[in-house]
Amino acid sequence: MRFIDWLDERLAIRQLIKVMMTEYYVPKNINFLWSFGVLIVLMLVILIISGVFLLMYYKPDANLAFDSVNKTIMMDVAYGWIFRHVHAVGASIMFLLLYVHMARGIYYGSFKPPRELVWLTGYVLFVLMSATAFTGYLLPWGQMSYWAAQTITTLFEKIPFIGPDLVIWIRGHFIVEDPTLTRFFALHVVFLPLLLIIVTAVHLYAVRIVGSNNEDGEPIPKEEKKKKGIPFWPVFMSKEFFVMAVFLTFFFFLVFFHYEFAMDPINFIPADKLQTPPHIYPEWYFLAYYEVLRGFFFSQNLGLIAFVLSMFIAMFLPWLDRSPIVSGKHRPLFQIAFWIFVFDFVFLTILGKLPPTGLYAWLGLIGSIIFFAFFFSLPIISRIERKQLENGGKK
Amino acid sequence: MKELKILAILAIIVIITYLGIEPYAKHVMHGTIPPPDFSYLDLPKFKLAGDPSKGRELFKVNCASCHSLKADGIEAGMDKKTAELSFHVVPPDLSNIAAIVEEHFLANFIRDPQNATKNPKFAMPPMGYLTNDQIGDIIAYLKSTAKKELTGKEILHDACTRCHSVKYQKIPVLTSPEHLKTYLGKIPPDLSLMGRAKEHEYLITFINNPQVLLPGTTMPRLGLTQEATEKVVAYLEQIADPHKEEREKIGMWVLIYMLIGVFLTYAWKKKIWKNIH
Repeated sequence: MRFIDWLDERLAIRQLIKVMMTEYYVPKNINFLWSFGVLIVLMLVILIISGVFLLMYYKPDANLAFDSVNKTIMMDVAYGWIFRHVHAVGASIMFLLLYVHMARGIYYGSFKPPRELVWLTGYVLFVLMSATAFTGYLLPWGQMSYWAAQTITTLFEKIPFIGPDLVIWIRGHFIVEDPTLTRFFALHVVFLPLLLIIVTAVHLYAVRIVGSNNEDGEPIPKEEKKKKGIPFWPVFMSKEFFVMAVFLTFFFFLVFFHYEFAMDPINFIPADKLQTPPHIYPEWYFLAYYEVLRGFFFSQNLGLIAFVLSMFIAMFLPWLDRSPIVSGKHRPLFQIAFWIFVFDFVFLTILGKLPPTGLYAWLGLIGSIIFFAFFFSLPIISRIERKQLENGGKK
Repeated sequence: MKELKILAILAIIVIITYLGIEPYAKHVMHGTIPPPDFSYLDLPKFKLAGDPSKGRELFKVNCASCHSLKADGIEAGMDKKTAELSFHVVPPDLSNIAAIVEEHFLANFIRDPQNATKNPKFAMPPMGYLTNDQIGDIIAYLKSTAKKELTGKEILHDACTRCHSVKYQKIPVLTSPEHLKTYLGKIPPDLSLMGRAKEHEYLITFINNPQVLLPGTTMPRLGLTQEATEKVVAYLEQIADPHKEEREKIGMWVLIYMLIGVFLTYAWKKKIWKNIH
């Protein structure tokens, strides 16, 4: 008996391969932006593998952490530096991939029925990945690690009634200290990755059920799947491998030759709780949200509410945008709003790193308002489009 | 074609973001770094000429109570402990000082260290009673003992390690920390990773004149020559990033490998998609 038959009898492996790969159809009218999902899975695998190797030498202790990263891993362990570069650049690029993946979903209406759960699980993944990145950033125990954690955990102080106690509970101390490092470590290497893997499985399962969206947002009934689609394996994946190869070339170029954007020089100075750096800023992928926090410069409370809202508002897209037209390709009004939003997001990201004074403060406020305006314009755009469709139908 | 257009749009957005958060934001945050001034011409001019043998005698009388000059077999009159108790910092051995410090600066330094270093609390007392000729003799003597070619590491030993440790190179700080705290107000940072934490131009200008970049700092201006400054910064950069050469070499091979991957995967894609419309 052949091994594959033996396995098939016990695990129904052939059926599984059919459902997951050879008879899972992906629409034909999609572009390479649909490859980003698999790229994200690839990136997650790279991060987990490089992370495990870093874990072998990292020491989660406020007195040892900095040297274990910058001396042991970066200088003494053979090729340790590659793993750190890959992990740091990988975390940064993960967010680039996530943002492109999400922007594609927004533009082509991939969050709309019947894919609400794909969007929701995906958004949960984004939030989990943000938490993983935030906790991981503290671990090298450099100046920016320390002060970013200090600043962001302070935000919880503003929560009514429980705020001050909550901050101490999160930090395990009155300030960011050794207990903060060890609990962030536990979250970063065990709890959050575990959740990420579980929710990723649910996300992929949900996509297998409802199928991928396509450029025209055209629903493909079961009977037509074979005609209008291409099998995931080998046809879609043959293209995916090409996209992967191009992406990895770019990725490794950054890892070896252009990593400064992901490894801030100031983080090569050990954490010093007595010396606040003149500029405190998060990594680039949080800058837009950070700018929304600072944008409402006249009221800290309002800024905080806006900050929390900006992090979660996109989660409610399926209920904000209820236009019957799925893909942005066929929605001129939505396209305008979408591109304004994209440029506003870039604008906020850049502003987030600039000092929040004078003109920049006002620009931040305007940018923040435009950020929310996009989401609140969606119900209106949907309504206009619905009306247009009804009128067109009457003609 | 359509896919290339999408890629182009993506690339433009990424590049704009990158330019905004890296070069532009850095420029706004840190401004432009003023160039260093290795002539030290803000200090009064000296006419420097002298006799090394006279200088040796003057050195023994005026300097050797605190400073050694091991190259010429002169030991300091004071041990480390006494020096620390009197000055809160260890006086340097002066064998190679003239190869490290610019001579016009050195002359001004001997006469008025507080003014030359821009640190009003600088430990060495002013030698204002020495005449210009005598200072010239001492400098001529110091030049005669100094090694011509110094490495970055040797310069660091002579110029920095009194106050700074370099623990990843197992170079300890010479003065004990509690004395440094009394002397400078805080324990000066370890230099192991400075070459990576600060950019090249910053380090050069900072060593040249700390007050320009960090007004109020207790780090003295040390009057290093251009050559000494560049060598010591190159050394700091090398120890902060010891795998640079290896990284660039491996990086090239990885990129070549990936490019081959790009061609192979493209060929396979072409083959599979041939019959798909």
